[in-house]
Amino acid sequence: MAVINVTSGSQAVLTLGTTDAMSLPGGTDGLILPLMQDVTVSATTGTVRYSVLSSPSSSAFTTVNENSVTLNMLLDGPVFFGGSSAGLNLILDNGLLKTSIDKTEIFWSVAFNEGNTTGEYFVKGKGFLTGLTPTASLDAAIWISPMEIVVNGEITKVIVS
Amino acid sequence: MSVIRSSLITQLTTNLAGSNVSVSSELPFESGGDVLYSKNMKTLYVDEEQISQDTLYEVLDRSNFLTNTSTVNAYLQVDAKTQLTDINAIISSVLSAKSVITGTITSESDYDTEIDLDHIVYTFEYRFEKTV
Repeated sequence: MAVINVTSGSQAVLTLGTTDAMSLPGGTDGLILPLMQDVTVSATTGTVRYSVLSSPSSSAFTTVNENSVTLNMLLDGPVFFGGSSAGLNLILDNGLLKTSIDKTEIFWSVAFNEGNTTGEYFVKGKGFLTGLTPTASLDAAIWISPMEIVVNGEITKVIVS
Repeated sequence: MSVIRSSLITQLTTNLAGSNVSVSSELPFESGGDVLYSKNMKTLYVDEEQISQDTLYEVLDRSNFLTNTSTVNAYLQVDAKTQLTDINAIISSVLSAKSVITGTITSESDYDTEIDLDHIVYTFEYRFEKTV
């Protein structure tokens, strides 16, 4: 048994990029999303159940996979509204909000541990940012927001070699 | 001296100018078995700031956010038999001194009283919350 601990700030890392290479863990100019409270990678297989008269139990067949990455984060101003990467990473130039509004397709990876050392795992894909819902209150006086990456296509498992 | 205590003393001195009460910058320590506000009645003493810290948000990259709660007490003792004529204005001025502390999430003040023989002790409490 080998659980995957999250014992340092360099584990459970989401990296966003405008190219596949940029979005890999440790990728040049990749945007490592700061201040995430949690992250969930959802790989859901679509299924349809059906019944036949000759069987007391239902049967099933698979349909398409519906994949997503969901998270909650504290808002970092330059990341949310746009900072500057001198055009090297348009997600950072435009910010998460504009990237979502513009429906720009982005590439992403989630490192389960640090993800850039031989033998480590990460998952990657591409998709669209959605679900930004910034909220603030006096009880928790920091802007927070959920976010979802609606994955376009498959989630790919990668072992760093 | 903490910044909050120092700012409160400055504001209290301004607010209470012309009243029957003065403000001391000394801590309310004991001298000869009596606390100073008991020996020097009609003088407001502001105690040292107490700070407690709670985690507001924990994040995966460990850039956690904390809430600092600062509490400051102030003490005033006066004659209970012959109340000061302007005691209501004094209490109001002491409570409103909290507004000098800015950049906080919450800023609260209240007080309670305790009668000991023919004296009454007003204990004021200021509470300030700040995200760090």
